[in-house]
Amino acid sequence: MAQLRRDYEKFVAAGAQIVVIGPESPQAFSAYFTKEKLPFIGLPDPTHSVLKLMGQEVNLFKLGRMPGQIIVDKAGFVRYIHYGHDMTDIPANEDILSLLENLNKESI
Amino acid sequence: MSLVKLMLPAPDFSLADVNGNPVSLSDFKGKSHVILVLNRGFT
Repeated sequence: MAQLRRDYEKFVAAGAQIVVIGPESPQAFSAYFTKEKLPFIGLPDPTHSVLKLMGQEVNLFKLGRMPGQIIVDKAGFVRYIHYGHDMTDIPANEDILSLLENLNKESI
Repeated sequence: MSLVKLMLPAPDFSLADVNGNPVSLSDFKGKSHVILVLNRGFT
């Protein structure tokens, strides 16, 4: 989360919004977002309905759900899917920014 | 089972944000790209 916050302005400048969906309660979301001063949109999903819809993987040996990133373009199409194999398996900001740049070139 | 496939429309969803306001994926259509972060626990 800190990794994304570091380049938040660059993501916004590239025309993207960051939407975080997690299984935590609204209270836990609110407390964490306030504490960490996260500028993202936070959507608690305690029933896991959207997390399942989006294909977030469950790894019983690693005690739960694995992180994932999905990029949806302005037209509503899925342009990038990354399901992490462990908690540290997160794409680099530079890779996401590069992808957004390419999407913006397409729409010119 | 995931309905998310590359180059196909993303399945729409709606959830309440931390303030209770509904947010749908389709709210962003035509306005911005969306980076969906599927989180697991705040650490």
